[in-house]
Amino acid sequence: MASVKIEDLTFTYPNAASPALENISLEVGEGEFMLVIGPSGCGKSTLLRHMKSVLTPHGERKGRVLVSGRELDSIPQREQTADIGFVFQHPDDQIVTDKVWHELAFALESLGAEQGRMRLKVAEMAGYFGLEKVFYNEVSELSGGQKQLLNLASVMTLSPRILVLDEPTSQLDPIAAFDFLTTVKKLNTELGITVILSEHRLEEAMPFADRVTVMESGRITVCDAPRRAAEILYRSGSKMYYAMPAAAKLSLELGLDETALTVNEGRRLLLSMGLPKRRLPDKPAKARAAEPVLSAKEVYFRYEKDSPDVLKAASVELRPGEIMGLVGGNGAGKSTLLSVLCGERAPYRGRVCAEGKRMKGRFSAFDAHIGLLDQDPRTLFSSDTVREELEKAASHRENAGERIDDVVRLMDIGGLMDRNPFDLSGGEQQRTAIAIILLTRPKVLLMDEPTKGMDAGVKRALGHRLTALANEGIAILLVTHDTEFCAEYADSVGLMFDGGVIARAETREFFSRNTFYTTAANRIAGEVFENAILIDEVTEAVRGTNRE
Amino acid sequence: MHRDAFYSVHPAVNMAFFIFVMLITCLVLHPVIVGISLVSACAYTVVLKGRKALVFDLCLVLPFIIIVALMNPLFNHEGVTVLFYLWNGNAVTKEAVLYGLVSACMFAALIMWFYCLNSVMTADKYVYLFGRAIPTLSLVFSMVLRFVPRIFKRISLVSRAQRSIAPPMGKSAVKAARHGMSVLSVTVTWALESAVNISDSMRSRGYGLKGRTSFSIFRFEKRDAVMGSLLLLAFALSVWAVAAKRIYFRFYPSIKTVPADALCVIGFIAFALLCLAPVLVNLKENILWRLLKSKI
Amino acid sequence: MEQTGNKSRLRLILSLVTAGIVVPAVIALGVSVWDDRRFYIVSLLIIVASMVPMALRFERRRPAARELVVLAAMIAIGVAARAAFYMVPQFKPAVAIAIVTGVAFGAESGFIAGAMIAFVSNFIFGQGAWTPWQMEAMGLLGLLGGLIFHRRDGALPKLLPLCIFGGLGTLVIYGLIMDTSTVFTTQSSVSWELLAAAYASGFVFNVIHAAATVFFLLILARPLLKKLNRVRVKYGLLE
Repeated sequence: MASVKIEDLTFTYPNAASPALENISLEVGEGEFMLVIGPSGCGKSTLLRHMKSVLTPHGERKGRVLVSGRELDSIPQREQTADIGFVFQHPDDQIVTDKVWHELAFALESLGAEQGRMRLKVAEMAGYFGLEKVFYNEVSELSGGQKQLLNLASVMTLSPRILVLDEPTSQLDPIAAFDFLTTVKKLNTELGITVILSEHRLEEAMPFADRVTVMESGRITVCDAPRRAAEILYRSGSKMYYAMPAAAKLSLELGLDETALTVNEGRRLLLSMGLPKRRLPDKPAKARAAEPVLSAKEVYFRYEKDSPDVLKAASVELRPGEIMGLVGGNGAGKSTLLSVLCGERAPYRGRVCAEGKRMKGRFSAFDAHIGLLDQDPRTLFSSDTVREELEKAASHRENAGERIDDVVRLMDIGGLMDRNPFDLSGGEQQRTAIAIILLTRPKVLLMDEPTKGMDAGVKRALGHRLTALANEGIAILLVTHDTEFCAEYADSVGLMFDGGVIARAETREFFSRNTFYTTAANRIAGEVFENAILIDEVTEAVRGTNRE
Repeated sequence: MHRDAFYSVHPAVNMAFFIFVMLITCLVLHPVIVGISLVSACAYTVVLKGRKALVFDLCLVLPFIIIVALMNPLFNHEGVTVLFYLWNGNAVTKEAVLYGLVSACMFAALIMWFYCLNSVMTADKYVYLFGRAIPTLSLVFSMVLRFVPRIFKRISLVSRAQRSIAPPMGKSAVKAARHGMSVLSVTVTWALESAVNISDSMRSRGYGLKGRTSFSIFRFEKRDAVMGSLLLLAFALSVWAVAAKRIYFRFYPSIKTVPADALCVIGFIAFALLCLAPVLVNLKENILWRLLKSKI
Repeated sequence: MEQTGNKSRLRLILSLVTAGIVVPAVIALGVSVWDDRRFYIVSLLIIVASMVPMALRFERRRPAARELVVLAAMIAIGVAARAAFYMVPQFKPAVAIAIVTGVAFGAESGFIAGAMIAFVSNFIFGQGAWTPWQMEAMGLLGLLGGLIFHRRDGALPKLLPLCIFGGLGTLVIYGLIMDTSTVFTTQSSVSWELLAAAYASGFVFNVIHAAATVFFLLILARPLLKKLNRVRVKYGLLE
């Protein structure tokens, strides 16, 4: 029997012109792993929230939602709480209490479980999800990945039959994200829990899914097995095709009989074609300006006198018009280097130079013409409308007011001018934030995790905008975990490890010599085209070789 | 990690200990009682935080004691044994001097006990203790504890972001204040949005259903029961001695006390054991460990 | 968070009466009749007792999840704000935030916010004999703020009366309660002269504190209330 069955569901938010969900019919089988994908704002979250009564949004609704054959609204709350587990997007925005052990027990407490049972369940979950070591810790001491596992564990204490996850890995770094998805897959295979997961990370999530549901503007356009879904998206020319795993793109574009999903499948397909090994021609290097606009030279930093160094002889240089990516694991010192570069923290040794001037101690990013975009663009907003926000930002530089129109056009936020910045979508908020920063006329733009939580389309648009800004002469530093984004848009990439930038090279060279910090395309094709880092390059190269 | 053995005792026993000790210290103004209390508080401070911390705490307390001890004879002229007369003709009496001294030590003892309480009674213990009687407020308390570090972090991020798009404030207090308010206001918006998301997660996990229970990692074990009973017994014995006026000290008009008898001595010993309970628990654990180690 | 029904209203008034009349009465009694610190314990018990009806009322109402988290968020902001100004003695925004919470969500939430801000921030500043007094004082201000200025439709209060209330409230209610507690916790005997001396010497600090409350209400009250209203409308909160 179907675990969840949705019949002809149409839903409209109050005061909305068009429905958020239109004639949705979907059946998820018992024990199935269903992946729901689609661009931001396509109605994924709205759909998922219809699978639990307390989360169902207010608005006008037609159609039915059945869970295990019963109408959802007729199932008592107590039963729904236990049987349908829900994990949300932001790890921090769903943890209620301050201690790990307390959070684990939260759901059990709600259902009035007695001490003995709680003790057992909590212990069991802490063990299964690897939270034993942090059991007595404050929640605030956990990493993002641990927090999200804690959320999952807290839901699992009730032994739900259905697990609904709404973009659970969007705020996590790739390693934590893969860990999380693997854990979900394990719950699915080992315990037979029905999983309904919405995701942007298709490279990792697609191979786990039994079926994929594709949503576009409130409708389901495709619902099929992953390989079939990729094929349909390719043939229909859907925008969502862009988000498919590299291996799938490769096999589809080369017109192979078999559609690959994982890196390994793609790699084997490529090897079986028996192509001769060769190097791709290097792109002509950008003409680089001689003088860096911002640089740090062998800087050392520690947070407290007795604490270990977080930065050790870290050096980095940014020249006008270049985009540099900075990758590295958590705790390698990326964020600290960023705060040294923007003048928030002063290194105790080494020098920071902006526009050729040596900066002493802490300095003003504004005066040094350094723009800083935090991973959460909302940190920049303080007014009620986008327009006020821009006017306020423009008031600090002479003649910046005249630039507002240009900036608005460049960032495509003309339609948002009278909206409250806090009500915008993530992508819109980021465009607004960049517009604000541009009005301060920066020569350098430092960006912390700019692609966090973004879907493939929004990422691509961001990449094009950044390229345009670089062409105007702005130097851009991307501190990120997103190797794919770096590979596509950065001119050079640096790897941070143990407080220093240990390797910096031109993007192609950087990724083609790494095995872990590299792109899916390089892992698929590295043995044939050693310096290919984008999947388009690989398909192009295969076609080129075949033509010869 | 806490090295204090008394810290790991059940929170209810922790709390009972502090209430018993502070009640008697505060209500029974007897030089011996106050002395026992002060010395024990100092001893426990050493166990909790080391000798340096004791010196530091005492340095904080000392000026206060001196002021209180001096204030009383200057303002209070009761008592029959006049020591000398002040410039304004008021008498300074022996009773008033002694009274001031003993009360100063009493306040010092209370302050020292509060320092100890601050390191022993951590927030999670209150969450647990309130969890039974006022579960909703105890949950709010826990949520506040979760929010506070997030808000501090957020404030620093927002402040950094906002400073990066505006000229430096220099020494202008007005600009700094305006910046501060703007940061606070943005943080509030964020906190409220976050609050709404958290409430979804709470309802999704069944918050609001009838019959909520509260989980605790604190288990009331046999040693807690033993410890609690012993503390209660010591408390009761001390109170008995006080109520029977066998522990008695009068300051005004003239100093009067009662000759020590069995009950009086028992009362003192009971109170001393009560006050020293945490130190004794630590001593016992230390000795046990040494023995265990030597066996291994 | 609204006061509905006569019964709960009655309970509210009762707790107000306990807090507002009985405590001063006990203090007076303590000063004139008892000559030892027994009155300190009794007044402490009464303070705790005056909080109990408030707490129970809150518990019995079984507030919805959203109300709890929003309240917790406001309290945490009050705590953070109090801690952020740790280097400026007396110049603290915590009372203003308790009052704003009361205005936005009603008397009861105001009391709980005030008391809780005092309690939790003392985990940073240190708990002491003053904690219950601070809880009571701050709670009362939140409660009165709610009682006088809270409107169910979320209408913003006039700024001038709100500031006057905040200033006077901090000066008189908060100031008197805390100065009394100072005498109780640091003097070996209590007399009217000592109390008067404490009120006189505390006056300057109380004026600074009152000025801080007025200042923060002046610049914070409206933006904060607007934000709370926005959340209320956007998420259908507290209906």
